[in-house]
Amino acid sequence: MTAFLVLFLGEMQRMQKYHILTASVIVSFFWIGMLHLIEVPDITAFFMILVFFDIVSMAIVMIGVTVFFEKQEGVLKSIFVSPVNRLEFLSSKTIANLISNLLTIGIVYLYALFFQDIGINVIGLFLAIILIGTFHSLVGFLIVYRSNDFTEMLIGMMKYIIVFTLPIAFDEFGLITGELYSNILFLLPTKASSTLINATAGGLDTGEIVLSAIYLLIGSLILAYFVNKGFRKFVIRESGV
Amino acid sequence: MFSISDLKYCYPKNDEDTIKGIDFEIKTGEIFGLLGPSGVGKSTTQKILTRQLDDFRGEINYQGKSITDYDKNFYQDIGVGFEIPVHFSRLTAEENLDFFKKLYDTNADTDEMLERLGLYPDKNKKVGEFSKGMKVRLNFIRALLNKPKMLFLDEPTNGLDPKNARIIKDMIAEFKEAGGTVLLTTHLMNDVEELCDQVAFMAAGKIVEINTPKNLKLEYGSRLLKVEYSDNSEVKEASFKLDDLGDNQEFQQVIKNNKILTMHSQEMTLDNIFIKITGRD
Repeated sequence: MTAFLVLFLGEMQRMQKYHILTASVIVSFFWIGMLHLIEVPDITAFFMILVFFDIVSMAIVMIGVTVFFEKQEGVLKSIFVSPVNRLEFLSSKTIANLISNLLTIGIVYLYALFFQDIGINVIGLFLAIILIGTFHSLVGFLIVYRSNDFTEMLIGMMKYIIVFTLPIAFDEFGLITGELYSNILFLLPTKASSTLINATAGGLDTGEIVLSAIYLLIGSLILAYFVNKGFRKFVIRESGV
Repeated sequence: MFSISDLKYCYPKNDEDTIKGIDFEIKTGEIFGLLGPSGVGKSTTQKILTRQLDDFRGEINYQGKSITDYDKNFYQDIGVGFEIPVHFSRLTAEENLDFFKKLYDTNADTDEMLERLGLYPDKNKKVGEFSKGMKVRLNFIRALLNKPKMLFLDEPTNGLDPKNARIIKDMIAEFKEAGGTVLLTTHLMNDVEELCDQVAFMAAGKIVEINTPKNLKLEYGSRLLKVEYSDNSEVKEASFKLDDLGDNQEFQQVIKNNKILTMHSQEMTLDNIFIKITGRD
């Protein structure tokens, strides 16, 4: 078994043991409750808003939770003196995080499919979750690197949500309108995320979808570079300095 | 096995080097003690040797090759025993060991070690429910689970009762007998005296003394024999030079005519050498 596979399966085992997967399921039931209470003929639009907030916030939080658990238990030290390289460590955490994202959204989607009226492209949604989840998991690592404790990590995440997510929410709910505002939003990764999710319901310009996908793909590569680079400093700090 | 020359290290946020040019060699099959008060650079040295810290200056060779030239498989050869607990608290002891075992090409019989260290009956218990001593013992098993050639141990008996400390010390000695090499960091001079073939004392980022425990005791002690004896119900003391003890008439008279109460050669204890060399308790 490769080190990556051992780490990935270990992540999945711990997500179950530490009740992180349970939390994902509970979150999905919370979203289901919200969708159930909304009385509209087609819940597609609400579903997409939920998906957007879930992936963006949970991808960051889950990385923070797992890394801080390991940091608190001193287990990172033990992993760092094992035959494991940074890429294997970081990618196993990111992919396990994506599984958690897919689980939550999958449960909500199944509810919407069987009990509500929804029309989306499932493969498109799957690919969007992979791209958005990867990008925001990497954002999660960078926030963790800059945080000394769990509270600081939560504050970092709140800052990200306020700066990058609320403007999108204002646009989605029509609270702030105007072409200039909408165009400025294209600078934000959250706008690219929102565009990809909305695209699963159809009706969006292909060029806009491709650009959003490229934005998140290149953004993820750039973030991956900084996450990988920052990991060394994080390790030095975690080793007791 | 390890040769270290002119090793220097400065932490990113520090102005001054923490390790200020140290040289030493750890020979294959020996137990090397790295001693000194807290904050002198022992742990930093160990972290550099185990590649937890890079960007060092100087040269470190492991089996004739720079440690920077090794890939992740460097860790197949080494085991690191931490002083603090390093396990997933919500996983059982067995689940923890199984997770780490899968990362290595070769595995030791952990059940046998669990049994020997009295943890076998608790192997299905979550580590979070373990006492401090149980976690220390589990750390030791974690360090040995890949059958390492080189073992780095940081205070391996700290927090253990004498019985379990004895077992750990026996296991370290057996590891050495089987050809293993150990770098031991500890404050417990009894452990050092019992286990180490060679010791290095660190102070302020430098190695200030390096020798065998026996030589250090002789070097820092005085070559005297102190005798306590009873003379007409009065307790008296006398010291005699070891070098001409056989010809010393006064000594001969004392042991011939008096009841000897105690008799001690005056080599220094490692505790006192530690204080003398490092200047701190």
